[in-house]
Amino acid sequence: MTELIVVDRVDKRYATSSGPVDALRGVSLGVGAGEFCTLIGPSGCGKSTLLGMLGGLVHPDAGRIVVDGRPVEGPDPRRAATVFQDPGLFPWRTTLENIEFGLELQGVPRARRRAVAQELLAPLGLRDFAAKYPRELSGGMRQRVAIGRALAIDTPIVLMDEPFGALDEQTRLLMGEWLLDVWRRTRKTVVFVTHSLHEALALSTRVIVMTARPGRIKSVIELPLPYPRAMESSELVTLRAKLWSEIREESLRAMGET
Amino acid sequence: MTRRVRLLQAASVAALLLLWEAVARAGWVDPLFVPAPSAVAGAFARVGGPALGGLGDTLAKTAVAYVLSVVLGVGGGVLLGSLPRVRGAVNPLVVALYGMPKILVLPWIVLLLGFGTTPAIVYGTIHGLFPILVLVTGAVRDVDRQLVTVARAFGARRWQLYRTVVLPAIVPTVLAGMRLGIVFCLLGVLIVEMFAGVRGMGHVMSSLANGFQAPELFAATALVSVASIVIVLSLDAVNDRLSHWRGDAR
Amino acid sequence: MTVVVLRVLIVVAVLLGWEIAGRLANPLLYVPPSAAVPALRDLLALRSYPDFPEHLLLTLREIAVAYGLAIAAGVGCGAALGLNRLVGRAYGPILAALYAVPAVVWYPSLMLFFGLDAASKIAFGFLLGFFPITLAVLAGIRQVNPQLITVARAFGASRLTVFRKVMLPAMLFTLVGGLRTGLALAVIGVIVGEVLGSKAGLGSLINHAYGLFRTADYVALVLVTLALIVACDAVASALERRAQRWTHLQ
Repeated sequence: MTELIVVDRVDKRYATSSGPVDALRGVSLGVGAGEFCTLIGPSGCGKSTLLGMLGGLVHPDAGRIVVDGRPVEGPDPRRAATVFQDPGLFPWRTTLENIEFGLELQGVPRARRRAVAQELLAPLGLRDFAAKYPRELSGGMRQRVAIGRALAIDTPIVLMDEPFGALDEQTRLLMGEWLLDVWRRTRKTVVFVTHSLHEALALSTRVIVMTARPGRIKSVIELPLPYPRAMESSELVTLRAKLWSEIREESLRAMGET
Repeated sequence: MTRRVRLLQAASVAALLLLWEAVARAGWVDPLFVPAPSAVAGAFARVGGPALGGLGDTLAKTAVAYVLSVVLGVGGGVLLGSLPRVRGAVNPLVVALYGMPKILVLPWIVLLLGFGTTPAIVYGTIHGLFPILVLVTGAVRDVDRQLVTVARAFGARRWQLYRTVVLPAIVPTVLAGMRLGIVFCLLGVLIVEMFAGVRGMGHVMSSLANGFQAPELFAATALVSVASIVIVLSLDAVNDRLSHWRGDAR
Repeated sequence: MTVVVLRVLIVVAVLLGWEIAGRLANPLLYVPPSAAVPALRDLLALRSYPDFPEHLLLTLREIAVAYGLAIAAGVGCGAALGLNRLVGRAYGPILAALYAVPAVVWYPSLMLFFGLDAASKIAFGFLLGFFPITLAVLAGIRQVNPQLITVARAFGASRLTVFRKVMLPAMLFTLVGGLRTGLALAVIGVIVGEVLGSKAGLGSLINHAYGLFRTADYVALVLVTLALIVACDAVASALERRAQRWTHLQ
């Protein structure tokens, strides 16, 4: 089965004040349709850069990225939607207007946009907040609006860059459960960047571990486990230990660098 | 607290007027220079006609200058804010011109354009243009980068970026600039009228001063002050209505 | 590096353009740099205006007095408004409303009262400089973190000590900013006053040159006045930096 997303020997270099820095070197990976694939690794390993490339916001210096048979050249809102750690909601737009944003850019007529956004309110748990402005919403709510905005354009792929990173632990856990629910219903392909071992193990079908800078793929762990996951099961406890030992090694290397 | 505040304000104004009236009547000040409030009140009727005519004239010129200032200021600001290299090169020039007292070029403008409406509009525009330009440039430059990233990620093209992100983001600053600009434009127009004896409120007040007509001058001054305050308060009200999404963080 | 080069190119282009345009059009009116430089030499050698130093000194004196009065009144009023809640809430809005009136409307009244001498220029400069200083003192007092005062009081500090050791350093930055703006505006006020009507001072010389079509001398005078303004602001800026360092050492 050809995979939906193929990353083929990708390099990325950045020019910094202290000389050029290799963010990614020779990264190759694949993501199948319908998967929930997590990218995890130490700080600075380039996972956000990689996600940016999948979304067409960053261009590789070598190698190529192919999505659904076509090479990625720039952001394509028919192909992938992105959710960032900073939700980036427009403060002058209400919840509904923020959700409609992608549709508006695509020229979808007003009545249709409004209908799509309205339908999403219930699954997002924002039915009573349709006319509120971002400053009236909590952090978790804002992130749900951002996710709603991504879902509204109904792309086969959703890219998420540490979407719950700025939230407190309890909210994170709840948001993770909620996201899982949404994913299982919509059957989209999700590429999810996180620092959290818990999120990687609780949510993903596949975990890709990256090395410290310059980022490469260290290992790929398949998780063909049913949902919802019993995190205390012996299988998952073993997996967690294995995942942590891999990441810990890279984290120490990354810290030693600084 | 508000009632006490209002009481204090009213009491202060009343006390000031009474004191002023008493001092004038007692003859402690020369009525030629400091007319009694009662005399000023009476002067309103006498000077009303020409003063209002002059005010209308001034406001008309100010309106034209204002429209020009806003269009050039916002347009220029968006341009400069969007082009970092041009901005870097041109910015010192803009800042220098902004800080320079425009009155220094006024004689030259009058030499060039003569007496009349044109120099008043040109000078008023110059006065109002710079604060708006500087503010808008800063606002465009400071647009939250994350919002731009989001828009690009959703496939926004260049003009869509401006329509959906940059322009809505700078609205509060544009409004602040417009509020500042109107006072500056009016200031510029009045200065030209006083300097070059051009028709309008500035000239009316200048003539009254030269003719030592103190009560009429005070009345005219009060008139233009009230007009200015009303205009600014109206703009503030518009500003408030359009910024409701910002809440308390204005 | 490119930005600096661009800036230099722009300055050179402007000077060149000015020279060419000046020669092609009416050089009397447009005063190309080649005509302005000799006029500047004449001015500084006291050939074009032999009593130039007296006028310059008069203008400087007017600025000094206007600014001094503005500081005294501004700090006093700002403190009164800032330290007493009732007074602040009552008169603050009145002050803000007056700020919405373009200052030049007061000038004819000042001219009527003080005449054409230095006094009216000082009064106008004072009026212009007073507002930003008052507002800065007010804002400075209001933005002092009340927690700091609570802590000081908890350690047994008297009211005077609290003011000296807590409030003053905390508001110094805002205060100095206001003092700097106040100086800039006082300078503008004095110069505007002189240009609009005076018998002596830099502004009157500008007026004189303009009236006699001595455009090259006019440009020279404008350049000198600009230099004066830049010098004043440079001094203010240096004092501001000194004050910043002092607050950090505290």
